[in-house]
Amino acid sequence: MAHLEKLWYKSKLAHYMCHVECNLFSKIPLGGKMLKATRFLLIGVTAALIGAFVIPAFAQDVTPGQGGILIEGNFGGDVQTLNPFFISDTASSRVAGFIWPGLVAVDPDTATFRQNDPTALAESWTISDDGLVYTFTLKQNWTWSDGTPITARDIQYSWDALVSGALDETSRYVSLQEQIASVESPDDYTLVVTYNFADCTAISNAATIPVVPSHVFPADYAELTPDWEFNLAPTVTGGLMTFGALNPGEQVALVSSQSFGGAPEGVLLAGYIYKNVPDQRVLVEQFVAGGEGNPNVIDGPAVSARADLIADPNVQPYQFPGNAWDYLALNYADPANAQARFAEDDSEIDQGHHPLFGDLRVRKAISHAINVDEMIEAALFGFGDRMNAFSVQASWAYPQDLPMIEFNQEMASDMLTEAGFVDDDNDPATPRVAQGAMYAADGTPFVFTLLTNQGNARRETVATLIQAQLALVGVQVDVQAIEFNTVLEAMDNQNFDAVLLGWRNGYPDDPDQLNLFGGTADTIGGNNMVSYYNPRFDELSRAAAAVPGCATEDRIPLYAEIQTLLQDELPYIPLYTIQGFYGSNVGVSGFDPRPSNLFWNVDTWAVRAQ
Amino acid sequence: MNHMIKYIIRRLVQAIPTFIGITILSYLLMSLSPGGAIRLLTFGDTRLKPEEREAIEARLGFNDPIFVQYLRWFLGDHWMRWDANSDGVSDGSFLVPLDADGDGAPEPPGVGRGVILLDFGSSLTRGRRDALSVIAERIPATLELGVASLLVGLVVGLPIGILAAVWRGSFFDNFTRIFATFSTAIPIFWFGFMLILLFGVTIKGPDGQGLLPMGSRCPTSLTGGCAPLHERLEYLILPTLALAVGAVAGFSRYMRASMLDVINQDYMRTARSKGLNNRVVWFKHGARNALIPIATFLGPALTGLLSGAAITENVFSWPGLGRLAVESVTAKDYPIVMAVVIMTSIATILGFILSDILYALIDPRIRFS
Repeated sequence: MAHLEKLWYKSKLAHYMCHVECNLFSKIPLGGKMLKATRFLLIGVTAALIGAFVIPAFAQDVTPGQGGILIEGNFGGDVQTLNPFFISDTASSRVAGFIWPGLVAVDPDTATFRQNDPTALAESWTISDDGLVYTFTLKQNWTWSDGTPITARDIQYSWDALVSGALDETSRYVSLQEQIASVESPDDYTLVVTYNFADCTAISNAATIPVVPSHVFPADYAELTPDWEFNLAPTVTGGLMTFGALNPGEQVALVSSQSFGGAPEGVLLAGYIYKNVPDQRVLVEQFVAGGEGNPNVIDGPAVSARADLIADPNVQPYQFPGNAWDYLALNYADPANAQARFAEDDSEIDQGHHPLFGDLRVRKAISHAINVDEMIEAALFGFGDRMNAFSVQASWAYPQDLPMIEFNQEMASDMLTEAGFVDDDNDPATPRVAQGAMYAADGTPFVFTLLTNQGNARRETVATLIQAQLALVGVQVDVQAIEFNTVLEAMDNQNFDAVLLGWRNGYPDDPDQLNLFGGTADTIGGNNMVSYYNPRFDELSRAAAAVPGCATEDRIPLYAEIQTLLQDELPYIPLYTIQGFYGSNVGVSGFDPRPSNLFWNVDTWAVRAQ
Repeated sequence: MNHMIKYIIRRLVQAIPTFIGITILSYLLMSLSPGGAIRLLTFGDTRLKPEEREAIEARLGFNDPIFVQYLRWFLGDHWMRWDANSDGVSDGSFLVPLDADGDGAPEPPGVGRGVILLDFGSSLTRGRRDALSVIAERIPATLELGVASLLVGLVVGLPIGILAAVWRGSFFDNFTRIFATFSTAIPIFWFGFMLILLFGVTIKGPDGQGLLPMGSRCPTSLTGGCAPLHERLEYLILPTLALAVGAVAGFSRYMRASMLDVINQDYMRTARSKGLNNRVVWFKHGARNALIPIATFLGPALTGLLSGAAITENVFSWPGLGRLAVESVTAKDYPIVMAVVIMTSIATILGFILSDILYALIDPRIRFS
């Protein structure tokens, strides 16, 4: 499932639970991508050489807890809460990932959940034949920071709290309860999760249940409130770090825990500081300047700054195909008569057709008329990759064999003419007009409004490029870069022509897109705002999500078929993924990130004074 | 003194309708703004069904008429849904349904006291903490920066204005005019960023690092806390410079104009004819009188101290009220936004009253009436 980029909270699981790695080099298509792959390779080799010969000599001399302070800049908002029940933002998720244990973790090499991961509480799990019952066996040597053993009761507590009805019902756990039927802990180190239906995201869902110190949390769930003082100053934790201090608006400091079960050799770092630096440019300057008090590790700097960072000898860069992607959404349905796809009695409602984009031929023409490579160069400074459909290259389900949509404006012009939009005056400055178009009255000019969120330089540039590129085939685009929530409101209400926005996938990647393009997601306020509907897509998606055994090799062909279908019917026009970037100061030893997790081996990191 | 007290009381009473008008206007504006708190409260859960979303909206009162929502916000909701027999279950309601979401169970009794009693509700994003306490923890930082920049603005700007007036037409006068024009014209975020590049990156200190910290209010540390101001003055220098440059320009121009008004007055000529030196004439006789109009700016300037400086605070990672306001607007954290708006409104009203009082106190020709 993809996630709306604005909904930063959806990345919680990625950072909170996963200690992930993915061998992405094998997924970079060769040919046109050879240069990029070579660049990645060179950077990787350089980093590996540094890591192999220089850094260990330093790290070996460091005793646990004496390895300096890791400082990461936070250009998101303040950390809002550290209570896993209430975490909803990226900043809180980032910090929480250091202080709370995770039930399961992701294999660094395959980017899928693996059993007996050293950083996960679960040693192993078994799945019942019907795929409904997952039995987790927990490690017995893990303790909370106060020495109390971490047991299945600590997860049982969370589940009981969630289903008690005493918690704030506005939390995301409302939907979790539809998937999980029960959670039981027959003994301290066995957890049994029973699902209402078999689904390949079962482990991800189980991992969402917080692991909290039940001996510290209130017995009366009604006292588990968002304003509990523990939430911003947890006294007992169970992760790699313990809570140190919070200066609102400035920083959160964590102190290394030498009792973390996932790091039996100890944690070299003395601590970690998540320092608020709300301006991205300032953050990059602070990182480059280095020195005491400035960030020594960086995650996802602006693409405009990356070339300089890569060239800086004091920076250890790590680039990878990203999991964030932008799309051009064209409304299928009549925006003047926005309705849900289905009525309450499940009968299908006539949503009408968008006068321009209701015709698939027009959508295809648009897809051929835009030059994505030009967008990547101009708006992403080269740090992007074209998408062939709506699966990211980093995903295990990426359809390798699906070709890119061809950029061919001549073909696009012909297709528009065939669809009944003609250039009646041979004046390139005026738009085409409808003459026998499928849904537009004759004489209707081909003019539409493209919404995007104001303040996002990348998207504003891309929107301008789309405007210029489509003008060449006689399509006039009115670009409106407006406040983000206004864009969301238009999407929720389905009363837009076109929207340029993005999604961010999680780790491990869940390729299911039923929530984006499925018929049941086509509601006012639902994610299928373009009103795409194909029962075959729904059927394939359900089948792929419930493949018995959930083996990726069995699911890949289904997702390839789904992406082929989507490329053919174009609910969105696919654009590009934004490459990911991690970097550290050369004084940071052990820096060896993976796409899904910058900190998967952070217990072996140490910071040397510059 | 009696006149002054009566005057203050009268002005405060007159401010009440203004305040209520501000609350209505700001609440309406907030209600009309796109996006919704529900998306925030439900963490944008893509799996949430429309009916579940509607139930949450009903339960939280987002479906009530706008005037009911305003009244709930302004006067609290303890009188809208109450628990007469103290069993924890609502048994009566006024203006709102007892069972708003239609699940057969009454909604919990209202506990909000309303803005009128400084209960702004809970932040939607900051761990649902009390909005006022979130604001309160940002005020020291805002005051530090605001007072520092105001002091720099006054201490540097006023003498510049005086000297520019007495040396009218000189190189100094022209230079300060150009300086003032530049200072007010350059974008503050750009100026701040240049200061960071210059003093944080380019110019190195003895330890080989940037001469001044590139942001933050306090040094980073694992133990948290913040050292006393005198031990971390270096953190205050760059943001103060960025914020004060406009104040210096403004005060110097106002002071110059005011000084030009008094410089040719009879009492100035008299002072000179008595053989007093220029410094005494300018600063004792001239500047004191020229300061009277400047006093009228102090009230709004004090308001500015409280409202924060969003851009400067953002560029320099300064954890003040301005940055909080911007972050809250972006995050659609309505309670915080509204709390900041109301607190700033109150400060503005009080600032103007203070300004009038100062004017009357400084200039004996003005009477409280």
